[in-house]
Amino acid sequence: MTDTNSTGDARTEPTAAGDHLEIPAVERLCADIEANVSRVIVGHEDVIEHVVIALLGRGHVLLDDVPGVGKTMLARSVATSVDCSFSRIQFTPDLLPTDVTGVNVFNQQTREFEFQPGPVFGNIVLGDEINRAPPKTQAALLEAMEEEQVTTDGQTRTLPTPFTVIATQNAVEPNRTYDLPFAEVDRFMKKLRLGYPEPDEEADLLGRTVGDHPIESLEPVTDRETLVAARETVSRVQVAQPVREYVTRLAADTREHAHIGVSPRGTISLLRAAQARAAADGREYVLPDDVQTEAPVVMSHRIKTADRDRDGDAIVADALERVPIE
Amino acid sequence: MSTDASGRADERPISLETDQVDGAGAARSIALLCVLAVTASYVSVLYGITQVVGGSLSLIALVAAMLVGATVLARLIRPWTAAALALAAAGIGFGYYLTSAGVDPSVVITAADTIVSDTVALATGLPLLQMVQVGIWTLGFAPAPVFLSWYLAMRGRYGLGVVPGGAALGFLVLTGDAGMLVTVTGTLAAIGAIAAGELERHGGSIQQADLLAALFALAVVLSLSVTVVPGQPAAPTHLAQGEPGTLEATLDTAPRQSGIAGAVDLSPAVRFTVESDQRSYWRTGVYDRFTGDGWVRTGRSSRYDEPLTSPPGSGETVEQTITAETKLGVMPVAPQPITLDGDVTRRTTVSRHGQPRPDTPLSAGERYTVMSSVVDPDPAALRTAGTDYPDSVTDRYLQLPESTSSEFRSQTAEITANAQNPYETAVAIERHLESSKDYSLSVTKPDGNVAEAFTTEMEAGYCVYFATAMTQMLRAEGVPARYVTGYTSGQQIDDETYVVRGLDAHAWVEVYFPEHGWVRFDPTPGESRDAVHTGRLEQARNDGSENVDTAESDDVPVSDEASAPTGTEPGEQPEPDPNETTDPDDPNESTPVTQGNETNETPSNPATDTSGGDSITDGSLVTITRETAALGLVALVGLAAGARRTDAATRLRRKLGLYWHGRRRDPDRDVERAFARLERLLARQYRPRRRSESARAYLHALSTAANAADSTPDKTPIDARAERVVDYYERAIYGTGVSRAEADEAIAIVDELARDRLPVVGRCTATADSQHLRSQ
Repeated sequence: MTDTNSTGDARTEPTAAGDHLEIPAVERLCADIEANVSRVIVGHEDVIEHVVIALLGRGHVLLDDVPGVGKTMLARSVATSVDCSFSRIQFTPDLLPTDVTGVNVFNQQTREFEFQPGPVFGNIVLGDEINRAPPKTQAALLEAMEEEQVTTDGQTRTLPTPFTVIATQNAVEPNRTYDLPFAEVDRFMKKLRLGYPEPDEEADLLGRTVGDHPIESLEPVTDRETLVAARETVSRVQVAQPVREYVTRLAADTREHAHIGVSPRGTISLLRAAQARAAADGREYVLPDDVQTEAPVVMSHRIKTADRDRDGDAIVADALERVPIE
Repeated sequence: MSTDASGRADERPISLETDQVDGAGAARSIALLCVLAVTASYVSVLYGITQVVGGSLSLIALVAAMLVGATVLARLIRPWTAAALALAAAGIGFGYYLTSAGVDPSVVITAADTIVSDTVALATGLPLLQMVQVGIWTLGFAPAPVFLSWYLAMRGRYGLGVVPGGAALGFLVLTGDAGMLVTVTGTLAAIGAIAAGELERHGGSIQQADLLAALFALAVVLSLSVTVVPGQPAAPTHLAQGEPGTLEATLDTAPRQSGIAGAVDLSPAVRFTVESDQRSYWRTGVYDRFTGDGWVRTGRSSRYDEPLTSPPGSGETVEQTITAETKLGVMPVAPQPITLDGDVTRRTTVSRHGQPRPDTPLSAGERYTVMSSVVDPDPAALRTAGTDYPDSVTDRYLQLPESTSSEFRSQTAEITANAQNPYETAVAIERHLESSKDYSLSVTKPDGNVAEAFTTEMEAGYCVYFATAMTQMLRAEGVPARYVTGYTSGQQIDDETYVVRGLDAHAWVEVYFPEHGWVRFDPTPGESRDAVHTGRLEQARNDGSENVDTAESDDVPVSDEASAPTGTEPGEQPEPDPNETTDPDDPNESTPVTQGNETNETPSNPATDTSGGDSITDGSLVTITRETAALGLVALVGLAAGARRTDAATRLRRKLGLYWHGRRRDPDRDVERAFARLERLLARQYRPRRRSESARAYLHALSTAANAADSTPDKTPIDARAERVVDYYERAIYGTGVSRAEADEAIAIVDELARDRLPVVGRCTATADSQHLRSQ
C-alpha cells in the first residue's frame, strides 16, 4: 500500500516546466521519438519503445548485451531525438568517482575552487560497460541515478532535468568485470536486451551505414521542455485501486517464489512504467495490460533465485500467469 | 499489519465458539423435536383408535405422564434401569389388557402359541380396530415406547431414542393402522432426530441440513412411488366381483372392514342366483365397530364347524341354494345361517357374528346350500321384547366414536321422543331417515363422522349412509344395532329363483331384540333406490353389456314383479310395521312391498347414474388430499434444499442474466455487469477467461484464435462491438468512469450479442434490431 502512495507523491513532485501536455500529445510525442530513433536503429521496435517509456517514466535503463549490437547508438539517437544534452562515460577499471561526478578545480585567477561538472551532468547519460569499473565508481553514478543529485566535497548539486541514464553492461568477459551489486541493479527501471538483428534487418543496417551514418543527420523531433511536460503528464496518469492491488499481488507472488523478490522500489518503478505506457498508448488510466507488458523488463532483474535453472524471467512469467487480475 | 492480525486472532475463537453453541443448541432442539414428532406419529394412531372405542383422555394423560416421568428420570436413573422400568410398564399394561379381555394372564405361558399367532396376525395387516379390547390394548401399548424414547432423547442418545418409537410406529405400519401421512412424518422425524443428533455431536452447522432435506425428500418421493404396505390392498383383490368405484367394491373393500365412499357406480352384472322358497336379503357381511368413516368387524373368525349358533326365539328354517355366476368372494346367505353344505364349506370361515365367508373366492358355477333360521318377528312381540340385553351384546353393539357430538345425540333423542320401546325407536328412526333424506349415488363423502354428517348436513345419500346413520342413532339411544352388508333379493324369475346383480348390493341394519335375535331394518328409501338401480340395469341392457342376464332372466322384465307397486307406506297397515320385519315373515304378502324397496320403480331419473360417474371424475381431478399435499410439501422442501445445495438460484440468475440485464443503477456498475454478461457469452462460445488474463488480452486472444480457425463454421469471428464493451469496461473499472449513454450502449450491444446466440427466433429479431440500428 505504501508503494502506491509514493506514486501519489511522485505526481506532486515539482518539475522544471511545471506544465503538462494532453494525453494525445504525449502519445504523438512517443510515436515521433520512436519513429525517429528507428531511422538509426534497425528493428528492435519493442526495445526502442521501452527506452522511450523509461524516459517518460523517469527511469533508467540497463542494456545487457554483447558488444556491437547498437547499445550506444540507441542511447545517442534517443538523446538526439529529444534534443537533450548527451554525455557518455566509458567505464574502465581505473575510472574514479570524480571522473563521473566532476571535481573541484582550483582556479588560479579567482583563487577559489571551482566545480568542474563531470559527464554525469547531462540529460541523457550513457554509461558504457558500467561493469568494468570498480564498485566505488559505479556507486558514484548510482547515487546520481537515485537522488538525481551529486555530492562532492560536501556540496550537493542537482542534476539537470530530465536525467536519464542508459547504461550498458558487457555480458562477455566475466573475469574482467565487476558485477553490479544487486542493490544497485535495483535502481534501473528496466533491464533490456537488444540481441542480434534479424538477417534481413542486418542487411538493411549495412545498407544504411554506407555513406553517412544516419546518426549524423538525425534531427530532434521535440525539445527538452516538451519532454519534461510529457513526464509531468505521465506522472498524473490515473492508477485505479484494482491495478495497484494487482501490482502488489504480482510483487508478493515473486517474493513468495524467489529467494529475493521484487522490492517496493521495484513496484514503484513498475507503476511508473505502466503509467508511461498508458500515456504512450493514449490513455489517461493504467490497465492491467500495461502492467503485464512492463512487468518482465521491470521486475526480472530485481529477482534473485536460489535455483540456477529458474531466473527472474521465469519467475515473472509464472507470476503473470498465476496472479489473478481482479 | 501485526496489530490487525492479533486483533483477528483475538476475535476468532470467540466468534467460533458462539457459532458452535448456536449450532449445537439448534441441533439439540431439532433432535428433541424430531423425537417428539416420532412419538406423536404413533401416539396419533393410537389416539385415533381410542377416538373410536373410547379412552382417549386416559391415553393422553398416560403419554403426558410418561413424558414428564422420562424428563425427570433422565437425570436420575441409569439406562438399564429405565429399560427395565419400561419393560415392567409394558408387562403391567398387557397383563391388564389380558385380564380385561377375559383371559387369565397365566395364559401367556400356557397359550403362548396363540399369542404368537395373534401377534403375527397383527403384524401381517390385521387392523388394530378388529381387536375386541383394542382400547385397553392401546393403553397397555403406549407407555413403554413413549417413556423409553423420551428418556433416551433427554439423555442425548437420539439414535437409540428413536429405536423404541420407530419400533412402535413400525408395528402400527405393519398392522396397517398407520396411514401414509403418519408413516412419512414418523420416518422423517426419526431420520431427522438421528441426523440432528449427529450434527450436535460433531458440532456441525445447521446450514448443512439442506443436503439432508434434499435426501429426505428424495427418499420419501422415491419410496412412495413403489411402496406397498401389507394389509392395505388398494383394490379389493380378495373379492373378485365388483370393479373399483362400484357400490359393491365399497361395501366389501377388505375382508374385515367395510368402507364408506363418496359417489359410487352400479354394476349391472349378475353375481349369483338363489333358489329359495322364501324371499330374503342375502347377507354377506356383519360389522360392529364404527370408526367414523367406515365399519370394522372385530374378533377372530373361526373355521366353519356346523352347526352355527341358532338365534334365540322362534325361527323358520329356510333352505337356499346359491349358485355363483361370477367369481364370488363372499357367501351370501339369508340370516341367520345355521348349516352350510357344499364344497366351499371346507374353506369357509365364520365370523363371531355368524356370517360365513370363503377363504378363496367361489368360482362361477360353484354352488352351496344354506339352512337358515329366519327370525320370525311379530311387531307386537318385538314391542314387548324389553331391554334385557346380554352383556356380550351391549359390550359390542353399543359402540359410538368418542367424538360423536351431543348434537347428534339430542337430535336422535328428538326423533325418538315418542318411542316407548326399542322397536318403536327403530321404526321412528327408520321412518325419519326414509322421509327426510333423498336417495342419490353421487354424493361427496363428508369429512369426519359420516353418520353425524349424514343426519345433520347431507341432503341425500345411498344405503351405506342410511344404514350407518341408523345404526349409530340406535346405539345413541341405547339400542344394540349392527351394520350389515349384502344384496337385496334380486330379480325373481320364477317362484323360487332369484337373480342377483351387482346393483343389488345393499347395506342395512340389524337390531337386537332379546328372545328374538337380530331383526332386519332398512332405512333406505326403497322407491328412489329402485328407480336408480333399475335405470342402471336397463341402460346396461340397452348398451348390450355382457353378464347382465342369465339364460332366463332376460325374458322376464325387470319390472314385472313390480307390476303392482303398491305404496310402500307401512302406515297403511294396522300397525306401523317396518317392511323388513314382515318381509321374511310372509314373502307372499310382502312381495309388493319388498319389491318396492328392491328393484321396482319407474326409471324416473336415468341421468343420476351418469352424473354419479361425472362427479367421480370431477372429484378426483379437483380434490387434493392431505396426503398429496404433504407429499407435495416434502417434495417442495426437498427441491428447495437441493436448489440451495446446488446453487441453482445463482445459476438461474446467471442464465437469465445472460439475456436480460436487469435493473440499471450506476453506469459504471452497469458496464461492469454488461461486460460480465459478455464474458459469459464468450466463455460459452469460445473459452472462459483465465483469471490472470486481462479483458483486452482475452478478447484479443479470442479474435486471433477465431480468425486463425475460420474453417470451423461455429467459431464466428468476434464482433467488433465487443471491443467497445471492453473499452467501456476498462474505463469504468480503471479509468474515469463512463457516462449513462455509454453504459446503455454497452448494455444494448451485449443484449444484441446475446440474442444472436439464441435460437432462430432470437436471431431474426436480433438481425432486425441491428438493421434498425444501422438505419438509424
